[in-house]
Amino acid sequence: MSEQKTIRLKIRRQDGPNKPFRWEEFEIPYREKLNVISCLMEIQKNPITASGVKTTPVVWECNCLEEVCGACTMNINGQGKQACSALIDQLEQPIVLEPLTKFPIVRDLMIDRQIMFDHLKTVHAWIPIDGTYNLGSGPRMAEVKRQWAYELSKCMTCGCCMEACPQVNPRSKFIGPSAISQVRLFNAHPTGEMNKHERLSALLNEGGIADCGNSQNCVRACPKEIPLTTSLADLNRETNKFAINRWLRK
Amino acid sequence: MSIAQVSNHHFLIRRVHSLLGLVPIGFFLTFHLFLNLTALRGAKQYDLVINTMQSFPGIFIVELIVIFIPIAAHAIYGTWVVYTGQTNVLRYKYARNWFYLIQRISGLYTFVFVITHVYLLRFGEANFANLSEFMSQPLGLSFYVLGVLLAVFHFTNGLWAFAITWGLTVGPHSQRVWLYTLGVIFVLMSVIGMADIFAFLK
Ligand code: HEM
Ligand code: SF4
Ligand code: SF4
Ligand code: FES
Repeated sequence: MSEQKTIRLKIRRQDGPNKPFRWEEFEIPYREKLNVISCLMEIQKNPITASGVKTTPVVWECNCLEEVCGACTMNINGQGKQACSALIDQLEQPIVLEPLTKFPIVRDLMIDRQIMFDHLKTVHAWIPIDGTYNLGSGPRMAEVKRQWAYELSKCMTCGCCMEACPQVNPRSKFIGPSAISQVRLFNAHPTGEMNKHERLSALLNEGGIADCGNSQNCVRACPKEIPLTTSLADLNRETNKFAINRWLRK
Repeated sequence: MSIAQVSNHHFLIRRVHSLLGLVPIGFFLTFHLFLNLTALRGAKQYDLVINTMQSFPGIFIVELIVIFIPIAAHAIYGTWVVYTGQTNVLRYKYARNWFYLIQRISGLYTFVFVITHVYLLRFGEANFANLSEFMSQPLGLSFYVLGVLLAVFHFTNGLWAFAITWGLTVGPHSQRVWLYTLGVIFVLMSVIGMADIFAFLK
């Protein structure tokens, strides 16, 4: 077998929200150890399709280039992945690039992930420590707890889990597993625990934890291997206890 | 009152939906499959048991409260739940993703099956001969075989989700052990269900 000489990409192009989409194919010279971002940069230098038609450079987002920011997430051969860590040598060609489908499109491969940040606000995914005076240092966290909580803190709000989740779609208000898992993280924190009730209460609303359908796609789609389904089951237990307890004390 | 107060009902409704799947519907399904084994002892015995059951005082009220209303509530809300999902099995081909889809298909099929089944028997005549006649047609037989298998699947796979909904099986290991256990229960209940149907074939 002779060595592969070119890399073929098929990209879904769209000039803006509410604009029609089209497919464009590109062929770039093969080099070893390229990733999807380096191919997109190659196309940017010389935006001519495989059939020789001049076009606009493909728009995408990227930032850290080391799979920690999530900005470059797109559908690569039908699966949500980070373009910066998706290696060409491991992908079937033509490599099909599409924007994530669960978020509003900005242009080409660029989407707006704002709803994920809104969901983090909805579930109070932060620890309130501001006061009018120095509150002093908080309680210590047990080492065993810190270890599993650290895993949850790796979430980069990339949206792969949202993309894979059948319950996240225009007909449902489901906030998705990543924001829910953050509730578990912040409730595990000894200072965060003091506002546990606010986060659990938020999860009882429409779009909250009860809207998960247990397909468990999320845990397999997460590039950070966050135990999302364990978080979901754990918070099912916590929300049940919380809701029953609150009702009994009413 | 505040929106949060009102929409907390959402959680309650989903939990009641989950609970209804086991109590009473799941228990009833299990009991129903076992009871129909009496058909193996012949038409006479079967009709005797059915007549005894139907002559209990207030059986209609009991059936209404313990069986019809819970199934109707679970089924109607379940149909809404199906509507709020959007399968992606062609892109994410995981076994659990397929189970998610089959859970929904089996729910809808069971809905149609139960309505037909009840219509034929409660408002027709509930006896061995009637069932036997229905199942002697290939279409009627496949309708029943599929109905029993999908209902049993929906129940056992539902119990797998139930254990997560109630926070019993939290980690992947316990979820897997429960999956295998339910696999065995699925086979056992299916065998009983098939025996029920077999009893009506001549
Ligand atoms: C034989 C009668 C039935 C039994 C024994 C049964 C049992 C169950 C059980 C145990 C669950 C699991 C609840 C959970 O996730 O915690 C469930 C879920 C479900 N059932 Fe049923 N069910 C029956 C009929 C139906 C019917 C007629 C429908 C109508 C479409 C339906 C739709 C659903 C749906 C959509 C779910 C998934 C709920 C979710 O994932 O949140 N079921 N069922
Ligand atoms: S387990 Fe729940 S949150 Fe995860 S993909 Fe399935 S439905 Fe979505
Ligand atoms: S949980 Fe995983 S897949 Fe979901 S947003 Fe966070 S890092 Fe991405
Ligand atoms: S650029 Fe940050 S994850 Fe790819």
